[in-house]
Amino acid sequence: MKKRILTLLAAVCLLSAVLSGCGGGSQNGTTGTTDQSTANTQTEGPAARAAAGELNVGIAQDLDSSLDPHKTVKAGTREVMFNVFEGLLKPDASGNLNPAVAESYTVSEDHLLYTFKLRAGVKFHNGQEVTPEDVIWSYQRCGDANAPADIIQVAAFANVEMYQEGDDTVCFQLQEPNNEFASYLTTAVLPKDYTEQDTAPVGTGPFKFVSRTAQESVVLERFDDYWGEKPDLTKVTYKIIENADSILLSLQSGAVDVFAHLTTNQIQQLGDGFHVEEGTMNLVQALYLNNAEKPFDDVRVRQALCYAIDRQQILDLAFDGYGTLLGSSMYPAFSKYFDDELTNYYTYNTEKAKELLTEAGYPNGFDMTITVPSNYQSHMDTAQVIVEQLKAVGINAAIQPVTWESWVQDTYSNRQFQSTVVGVDASNMTARAMLERFVSTASRDFINYNNADYDALFAQAQACYDDGEQTALYRAMEKNLAENAANVYIQDMADFVAVRDGLEGPSFYPIYVLDLSTIHYTK
Amino acid sequence: MRYTARKILTLLVTMLVVSLLTFAAFDMISGDPAATLLGTQATPEKVEALRTEMGLNRPMLVRYGEWLAGFFTGNLGVSFQYRQPVQALLGPKMLVTLCLSLVSFVLIVVVSLPLGLLSANGKLDGLHTFLNQFCMAVPPFFTGILISWCFGICLRAFVPGDFPGLDRNLGKSLVYLFFAAVSIAIPRVAMTVRMLRSTVISEMNKPYVRTAIARGNDRRQVLWGHVLKNSLVPTVTFLGQTMAEIVAGSIVVEQVFSVPGLGRMLVASISSQDYPVVEAIVVILAFWVVLSGTLADLVNRCIDPRMGGIGK
Repeated sequence: MKKRILTLLAAVCLLSAVLSGCGGGSQNGTTGTTDQSTANTQTEGPAARAAAGELNVGIAQDLDSSLDPHKTVKAGTREVMFNVFEGLLKPDASGNLNPAVAESYTVSEDHLLYTFKLRAGVKFHNGQEVTPEDVIWSYQRCGDANAPADIIQVAAFANVEMYQEGDDTVCFQLQEPNNEFASYLTTAVLPKDYTEQDTAPVGTGPFKFVSRTAQESVVLERFDDYWGEKPDLTKVTYKIIENADSILLSLQSGAVDVFAHLTTNQIQQLGDGFHVEEGTMNLVQALYLNNAEKPFDDVRVRQALCYAIDRQQILDLAFDGYGTLLGSSMYPAFSKYFDDELTNYYTYNTEKAKELLTEAGYPNGFDMTITVPSNYQSHMDTAQVIVEQLKAVGINAAIQPVTWESWVQDTYSNRQFQSTVVGVDASNMTARAMLERFVSTASRDFINYNNADYDALFAQAQACYDDGEQTALYRAMEKNLAENAANVYIQDMADFVAVRDGLEGPSFYPIYVLDLSTIHYTK
Repeated sequence: MRYTARKILTLLVTMLVVSLLTFAAFDMISGDPAATLLGTQATPEKVEALRTEMGLNRPMLVRYGEWLAGFFTGNLGVSFQYRQPVQALLGPKMLVTLCLSLVSFVLIVVVSLPLGLLSANGKLDGLHTFLNQFCMAVPPFFTGILISWCFGICLRAFVPGDFPGLDRNLGKSLVYLFFAAVSIAIPRVAMTVRMLRSTVISEMNKPYVRTAIARGNDRRQVLWGHVLKNSLVPTVTFLGQTMAEIVAGSIVVEQVFSVPGLGRMLVASISSQDYPVVEAIVVILAFWVVLSGTLADLVNRCIDPRMGGIGK
């Protein structure tokens, strides 16, 4: 009997040893800078949150591995951290660039010298004041080809000489004019030589980072030393809720107050107590075609697909009629560059599609695969409709669902695919961000588009400093993509944000962000 | 002592094999943690550089050896996806899953034992067959949604999507976990009741029961005095298996209830190829499974000394 008890005891000890070993780590699994007590107190219920000026926002996926803005990969990370970081300039909802860390700037006659006067007294969240050294260090880090591999390179900074003048001025000396240079200066300014940026990021934005718990939450708090107008909200907790059914439950139960990027289906089930803001996702959803792969190396086949696919029916069947039809790689939020005339460049016409296919030598159609990242229900639904539509012209399409990770690696990076339905967005507010990828030498030209005219137009646009002329060139590039049917362009998807009644003010940006500083409770 | 040594050896060998298999699986499936981190920003040069930085370009066995050495010195490595030591990352999540599993287990035992005995006595016959089939057929994620809607939205007994956290509010967290545990427990209760019922009934048909009744005992006395004790061994074995399977059930239920436990972490880490985290979770699960079996075995040996007792 004694031995039995001993063995039982031993088993219990072993279990508790493993338990305590795992639980004994530092920081209790939460990374953060500021004291944990504020991060851990949670105001309960929507009413209590409203009184305290707090907000819970639901997001459907966890953020990037690193919270360093120079390493941001996912649009979802940018969406959250937009509130924490600022560059010399900062975009607003209408697409203008406003001075942020900088107070003002001038550009020399020859468009080669940008002189930025820093705003006095701008502080980082750790209390340090922003110095010209910080600015130069931040931008050089993004232009330095020898920086760590996970820092996303900004090509526009590569050959720019950056130097300080006086106590509060930073100069950028360009080698050749770059009309869009200013828009790259929205890149975040970070404190020089601060090493915890990955897990405890520090910026100058209206909100400061408090803590992050893996697969659980990200907490931000109002930064009281913010240079500009201080936001109404005092604390924002992003809750990560991946399960589609749980998203609705979390809104109805009062666990979260705002949830962006919902589907029409979810919106309809929402019930009372919420209002819905409708905007656009700001991306180009298309059936992207591998232009180097047979049979899509033939422009007639690509055009035939454009004629064979009824885009309005896709919206009607898969999106309850919501969405904005597109005809090229540009979406309407880029009002300056968007050319609405291209939208109906191809109209649904199966006869014409068959003719073109016969001309191209496929009178009886062919087999093709559509690779779709299966975590995006909207792209899966779209592909489903396309498969049915293509049957009418004898094309036998099959959907190959893949995980997002394998899509990124095999389809996007290694270009091993025939066609894929996905949405492509812009990382900053330049036409270049949308159009450069289809230049034949671009590393991101995942569809292998290879058109000498297009390349020439892009080179001209880069060399051109006149804004009107450059816009015309970008529009010509869009037309080139449409004429050559680079892809079957479908739509800019509708974006629905559910907002609890009593809250106001989320505004839609031309890029994928959710600006917290404009959200407030109505008293 | 030989028994104890044998059990510990089984545990170690299981954990070793499972961890090696996991490593090998990651090596074989397509995809690469470095490429996953870089996402759409990946270029072949960058991926290669990051692989070198992360030490992924070394052979699999070297990395496994390193991981194993770390494991035995209490260092489970650093998560790729969260840049945090695995211990710190998983500690709180493991507690949550452990609580969820224990609450489910207690629920299963407390509900299914009396129900099983009642139905073995023929009290619930019509109801039992119908309810049992129904409960076994409904998948936990569906009952999960129903429970969230009914008790969360309508009755406001808890707030779905807002797990308070064990360290912040233990009472509320346990209430929250209770509802998640119910959806894990329902099909398991059905199975346990069914199992207990058939065991007791088949035991009641044995000759010794007839003899006992012939000697003047009434059914009740026989049931409580003899049959129950004899039915206990298979039941405990079954509950041991149940305890191991609860953890598998919790993976789905954690997603539905947004409970920040190991299951959600496991799913997320597999898709982001965060193998230090996956390795650790897999080893914890293997430990849990072997432990459940061992505990059931120990209890059985206490119940029935013919099985050899414990100390031999």
